[in-house]
Amino acid sequence: MPHDHDHDHDPLEQGIALRVRALEELMIAKGLVDPEALDAIVEYYERETGPRNGAAVVAKAWSDTHFRTWLLKDGTAAINSMGFSGFQGEHIHVVENTDEVHNVVVCTLCSCYPWPVLGLPPTWYKSAAYRSRVIREPRAVLTEFGLDVPAQTHVQVWDSTAEIRYFVLPRRPEGTHDLSCDELAALVTRNGMIGTAAV
Amino acid sequence: MDGIHDMGGMHGFGRIPTEQDTVFDHEWQKRAFALAETLAWSVPFAADEHRFAIEQIAPDDYLRCDYFEKWARAVETLLLQAELVDEDELKTGQPTFQITAEKHPPVSADTLVSATRAGAPMTYPADGLRPAFSPGQVVRVKEHAGHGHTRVPRYARGRKGRVVQNLGRFQFADAVAAGTGPDPKFCYRIEFEARTLWGAEACEQDSMLLDLWEPYLESD
Repeated sequence: MPHDHDHDHDPLEQGIALRVRALEELMIAKGLVDPEALDAIVEYYERETGPRNGAAVVAKAWSDTHFRTWLLKDGTAAINSMGFSGFQGEHIHVVENTDEVHNVVVCTLCSCYPWPVLGLPPTWYKSAAYRSRVIREPRAVLTEFGLDVPAQTHVQVWDSTAEIRYFVLPRRPEGTHDLSCDELAALVTRNGMIGTAAV
Repeated sequence: MDGIHDMGGMHGFGRIPTEQDTVFDHEWQKRAFALAETLAWSVPFAADEHRFAIEQIAPDDYLRCDYFEKWARAVETLLLQAELVDEDELKTGQPTFQITAEKHPPVSADTLVSATRAGAPMTYPADGLRPAFSPGQVVRVKEHAGHGHTRVPRYARGRKGRVVQNLGRFQFADAVAAGTGPDPKFCYRIEFEARTLWGAEACEQDSMLLDLWEPYLESD
């Protein structure tokens, strides 16, 4: 198979790094950008967003039946109640994995993703291979992630084509009834909330 | 537009690069991201306009470029379209002409972060308008797609699905990208049987869900 084209090509790195630097200098010189805003927005995404937010949502849903019901009915409001909100999270729908249904999320057209609860997407989520294949052969793709879905399970693939962003509520692992919310959250992975891992 | 970005269902891209699980690998990627987020305010441009600019990158470049390089290139395109820069300036990083600064004020760090944290909902009240389709109804995705930005993937066109839910009125991406937004339209969650889309190679019980605006759909 051809190699994947979405990763960095080292010989080009210097070229694009210079090009972006020139753009930044030009934008500051022209007064279109406040340099402090550039630093602030990167810091915001790195510090305030990320999968730990989503993991806290999942742990709360596993621990609190009322919250789980609310989360599945109005994901945006339930997630906002935990302090997670913002761009690419204005409209979030939470889909629940069960014994019968496995959900997996993609954006075939670009890279739509629920930023407030998962942060910015990882490179593989934006890759041509994932975007092209997970809708057509989801089970083969999930196997590449190490997840084998039983033949009788209903696989639902969600393509983020409009303004709603999708978030998967994984199944709570067996034998975790004694764990605290923090301990439960530590079990949850980013891929589990995309649907490419069990938890 | 029927661009390379619309790659759902294509063959030939190989295995998933599951090991590439970071967000940023280089400092310039962070700068490219941050430039897009800040310039969206001062140029200004909407996310859909930025997406459309990415879609118009030539297909061979689209496949070869790093994700954040595409973000930076799209920003350059939008700056050129707004006549805020010229090609020479982009090459050198040195300004050769002044812009009307009061028309393009830079966003401050505080404003940007607080607005980002708050988000900007894209819904509109129904205003007594009647949705054309109802839950349970079978609809067909229209075949037509023009040269502009659209959020109908090619693989769904002409296919039949079932309306799961009317999601309400949302700003219409096609109009926003064309600069004629928000032009809100009802948006529906449509479920397609996997075999309707992919034939017998798909599992019988599997399905796909897409959110599609009303102008994309017609009655079966």
